[in-house]
Amino acid sequence: MNNEEIIKNQSIPHDSATKHVSGLADYTDDISEPFNTLYGAIGWSKKAHAKIKKIDLRDVKTSEGVISVVTFNDIPGRNDVGPVFDGDPIFPKSKVEYFGQPLFAVAATSNELARKAVLKAKVVYQDLKPIVTIEEALKKNNLLFDPRIIKKGDPQNKINKSKNKLKGSFNTGSQEHFYLEGQVCLVVPKEDNNLLVYSSTQHPSETQQIIAKMLKQKSNSITVMVRRIGGGFGGKETNFMTSAICALLSHKTKQPIKLRLDRDDDIIITGKRHDFYSEYEVGFNDNGKINGLKLKLASKCGMSPDLSYAINERALLHIDNAYYLSDLEVKNYLCKTNTSSSTAFRGFGGNQGMMAIENILDNVARYLKKDPSGIRKINFYGQNKRNITHYGMKINDNVIQEIFQSLLNKSNYKKRYEKIKKFNLKNKFKKKGIALTPVKFGISFTTIHLNQAGALVHIYTDGSVHLNHGGIEMGQGTHTKIAQLVANSFGLPFEKVQISSTNTSKVPNTSASAASSTTDLNGAATLNAADKIKSNLNNFIKKKYNIFSKIEPVYKNENIYFGNRSFEFKEIIQEAYLNRISLSSSGFYSTPKINFDKQKFKGRPFYYFCYGAAVTEVTIDTLTGENIVDRVDIVHDAGNAINPALELGQIEGGFVQGQGWLTIEEIVWDNSGKLKTFSPSTYKIPAISDTPKKFNVEIFKKGSNVENVVNKQKTTGEPPLMLAMSVFFAIKDAIASVSNYEKIPELDAPATPEKILMSVNKLKNTI
Amino acid sequence: MVSNVIQFIFKNKIFKIENPDPNKTILNYVRDDLKKTGTKEGCAEGGCGACTIVLGEIKNNKLIYKPINSCISFLPTLNGKHLILVEDLIEENNKLHPVQEAMVKFHGSQCGFCTPGFTMSLFSMYKSNTSITNDVIDEALSGNLCRCTGYRPIIDAAKSLNKKKYQDKFKKNQNKTIGLLKKIKNTEVEINKNGKKYFAPKTIINLKKILKKYPDAKILSGGTDLSLEVTKFRKELKTIISLNSIEKLNFIKKSKSSIEIGATTSLFDFQNFIKNYYVDFHDVLKRYGSLQIRHVGTIAGNIATASPIGDTLPLLLTLDAKVVVQGVNQKKIFSINEFFISYRRTKLRKGEFIYSIKIPFNKGNIFKAYKISKRFDDDISSVCGSFSFLIKKNKITKAVIAYGGMSEIPKRASAIEKKLINSDFSENTFSKALYLIDRDFSPIDDMRASRNYRLTVAKNLLLKAFYEINNKKIIRVNS
Repeated sequence: MNNEEIIKNQSIPHDSATKHVSGLADYTDDISEPFNTLYGAIGWSKKAHAKIKKIDLRDVKTSEGVISVVTFNDIPGRNDVGPVFDGDPIFPKSKVEYFGQPLFAVAATSNELARKAVLKAKVVYQDLKPIVTIEEALKKNNLLFDPRIIKKGDPQNKINKSKNKLKGSFNTGSQEHFYLEGQVCLVVPKEDNNLLVYSSTQHPSETQQIIAKMLKQKSNSITVMVRRIGGGFGGKETNFMTSAICALLSHKTKQPIKLRLDRDDDIIITGKRHDFYSEYEVGFNDNGKINGLKLKLASKCGMSPDLSYAINERALLHIDNAYYLSDLEVKNYLCKTNTSSSTAFRGFGGNQGMMAIENILDNVARYLKKDPSGIRKINFYGQNKRNITHYGMKINDNVIQEIFQSLLNKSNYKKRYEKIKKFNLKNKFKKKGIALTPVKFGISFTTIHLNQAGALVHIYTDGSVHLNHGGIEMGQGTHTKIAQLVANSFGLPFEKVQISSTNTSKVPNTSASAASSTTDLNGAATLNAADKIKSNLNNFIKKKYNIFSKIEPVYKNENIYFGNRSFEFKEIIQEAYLNRISLSSSGFYSTPKINFDKQKFKGRPFYYFCYGAAVTEVTIDTLTGENIVDRVDIVHDAGNAINPALELGQIEGGFVQGQGWLTIEEIVWDNSGKLKTFSPSTYKIPAISDTPKKFNVEIFKKGSNVENVVNKQKTTGEPPLMLAMSVFFAIKDAIASVSNYEKIPELDAPATPEKILMSVNKLKNTI
Repeated sequence: MVSNVIQFIFKNKIFKIENPDPNKTILNYVRDDLKKTGTKEGCAEGGCGACTIVLGEIKNNKLIYKPINSCISFLPTLNGKHLILVEDLIEENNKLHPVQEAMVKFHGSQCGFCTPGFTMSLFSMYKSNTSITNDVIDEALSGNLCRCTGYRPIIDAAKSLNKKKYQDKFKKNQNKTIGLLKKIKNTEVEINKNGKKYFAPKTIINLKKILKKYPDAKILSGGTDLSLEVTKFRKELKTIISLNSIEKLNFIKKSKSSIEIGATTSLFDFQNFIKNYYVDFHDVLKRYGSLQIRHVGTIAGNIATASPIGDTLPLLLTLDAKVVVQGVNQKKIFSINEFFISYRRTKLRKGEFIYSIKIPFNKGNIFKAYKISKRFDDDISSVCGSFSFLIKKNKITKAVIAYGGMSEIPKRASAIEKKLINSDFSENTFSKALYLIDRDFSPIDDMRASRNYRLTVAKNLLLKAFYEINNKKIIRVNS
């Protein structure tokens, strides 16, 4: 293996790993505070829907340690943190629209005193009736936008003509991000009303713009810095409330402010994953091939649009998952509810769309009494035929059949499928189930202009490289991977390259670290910057050393090779400096080939697709609904991975997060719109013993990318989450055994022990 | 000697804090005063493990290490302990500690925020076990949540520590540490900081005196529930009396007829002891909170808080445990079956404290207990069912059944018991009896489970107990 391959393919640890394990990796809350720092806390609404009659803050102001209080009256500019549409007032003036909506904030001499003070507010509300569920919102036509209809072919006709038809409905639940580091911000005022903002955000540029607009200042007066965040998962993509309020407190007090939400406040104030409800009508032939499909797809968006339009759009774009749907109609309803504004969460609507179609295929298979994996297979997109999506994009990188076959063999699916049926005949209370589900996930922001990135690379005179890019390090290892790419590009060891905080004054106008695109976009921008410096260096060397050949120079082993001539990197840098050659460059990248007409729902919204598949085996207890995941086998396409170990981490971590979404993670709102699950004691994310007992993950060996993505990699950010669909359908398979596979179980997600037991009992009662 | 100074060992030195704020958590002390920011706050309720630190103490002349949640431990409870933070693990030559090395090697960190907590739990596991089995790993790490990795790399890192031979600096320094710990052991703490009082008497006599003077004081016996008053409800605890320094309350005694557990015995110690007598009790305890909680929490604390879902309580009801209460003058013994009055209220009166719990051996009885929750580990049960039967010649001569999560207090299922007693031990008997569940209980809907599920599961657990006994087989997915 040559040096290039070694660097590229090495599964080196995360660049902060030794700091992580030593407690030396600084997060926003760990930054040394300036001596006169004050601490913020937010006072929020105790009603889900009400007119504000009066807010009496006298006791808050006189509470121990309180220095300042801010309300909407203190906002000089825009009183909204909505990223695309308005609708998220920082402090509403006259009406509250969800339980947890911020009303005012305080700055005090300590965290504890600030948090105690906000509890002393006396707010007089006049109750309005809250709308809490999708069902109520649909009934009252309480929608954020007019329903959106997408249509291809003539589904009603196809359904009518089909020999077999099914109708049904299906729910998937919400999910709390539960990043381990909660929302936190430290704002330090500088001269000329400038603010230096340290924020736990996935989106520093938008944080900058939102604060600037709120304060009626220019963007150039606000600098946002992020070294790393303790998990994001979408929950820190647009939740700008914390940083906006923190900046407002600093603006008013002219003192540094730290605002760190306590865990309960974090869960109560900030948005979560969209619940989705679907109704379907499907027509299919005896083999299970789908002829026509009509769907109603409604989502719970909460009190404001936030990113709900884009999230629902991604659901529409993934309603096919890996299947060719010749005739399709979907009516999409964006329900406005008096709950926190549902927001981005790994999968971004794609996963909810995919669950809808997977549930339909599962039911089709159970109706025909066939192995669901076979029904999935015959509906897959083809290579040369049946390869145009419902939005008119031709798929030219389809590897799902290959992955499916490889997984079928690797997991010994067929044999285990039969074995499980025998097990279930012998066991009365414990039942096993198995399922194989595919994933096809489109990569790119569907809002085309967001597919751009910038970077800044410096080489210092000692030959060390420093770089910045617009991406946020949130655990996915983007800094490590991009440093690897740059080290490889310059032929340097990894240690010679350093990435520091993402900073809006170094790289401007960045997109959120989201849509799985962070490394694709920022890696390419960084390589673009590196190429520019290399071009300076190459020209310099050629000119100085009279090299006329057209051979491309090769950078490796800390040398630059022009054919047989070589130059030591460190020396040539010093020489270039003395000869006044620029050793610094910005870089830029914009994704080619993509376009999407939102009105017509047509185009090529995705640069490429990621593929994967998983087989899961579970055991359920039919007396209690308890269940365990016995074994999981995965084949997932990471293209030509930059760092296989980090990709593996994304695949496994995404899977378990998806498993949580579809099994134990349950968000509960009561009828009055109060959130009942707002702490780790009431909301349960998977713990260590929930990890599959056997967990065999393979990165697709033939993985590559037909498009010109950095290193020919494929991202592993969001797609692996959807591999966990197999857990849900394995549970459903286990339940079906109770009726000896004669009936279709009714099961919504999340499949909690309660839902499983109720489904089992319902099935028993119909036999 | 009474002192208002707490002392602990940190970095091989004795640290002293004069008159600390008794409502301040160790986490806030570490982050705000020591300026050590490696330890993180994830939830401030002991539910995520990001704040895990390790405390060393002497037991039987040996150093033992316990992981605890620093976010719900009050600063004065550091008194007499050896404080170990994630920043302290690194070896003298700047080499990573084996547990840190394993985490790096196996890619056990992604965003890294939970990592210090995991590292400390692994450190404690490594110091307390030589054989690192899957069970040991699950138990050691069930109180640490990670949202990024899916745990597999952390499990592999933990496995790699199995039988690892390495003399870390803590081992090398152990005699010095023991010496230092012995030096600071003998203080009785009394703090009065801005009107907030804290007492940690060392003898029962002194405890009684303090209780007499401060009958409204909050008694801290572990404090994993009490501390939430401060960290979650933002209240001030004016007077706290800690029982943890009274060695006489930390005991487990076995006699021919019963086991007696002193009030401050940790749930962890109790869990390991009870395993030999009631396996299901052990299994339920193993899912009680997390290791961090069980090292601090006590069974007396669990009884005194009288939570309707306190997981040990239905089991103690079924086993007909006795609660030994120490009053100012005399001891009183209650059957636990008469101890709970209503929601979080017991027969414990002001100025009294729980001295011990006695669990009789009920010879010949078959004991079964089940905990049902959304998540197996570190979750609060939606229903906890506990059953004890005496069966003679296929006749049920005794049936003691209790449930948690079904009522405002943990309660016996007396109608079902009555129906079962003197009936045949048969499926028919149980199938008929279980319908009386509505007569015994009227549970509520909440975020953990619906009323309907609770009733259904309660019935099914009774059936499960029957089938397990009848078929002589354990029918559980997690066994």
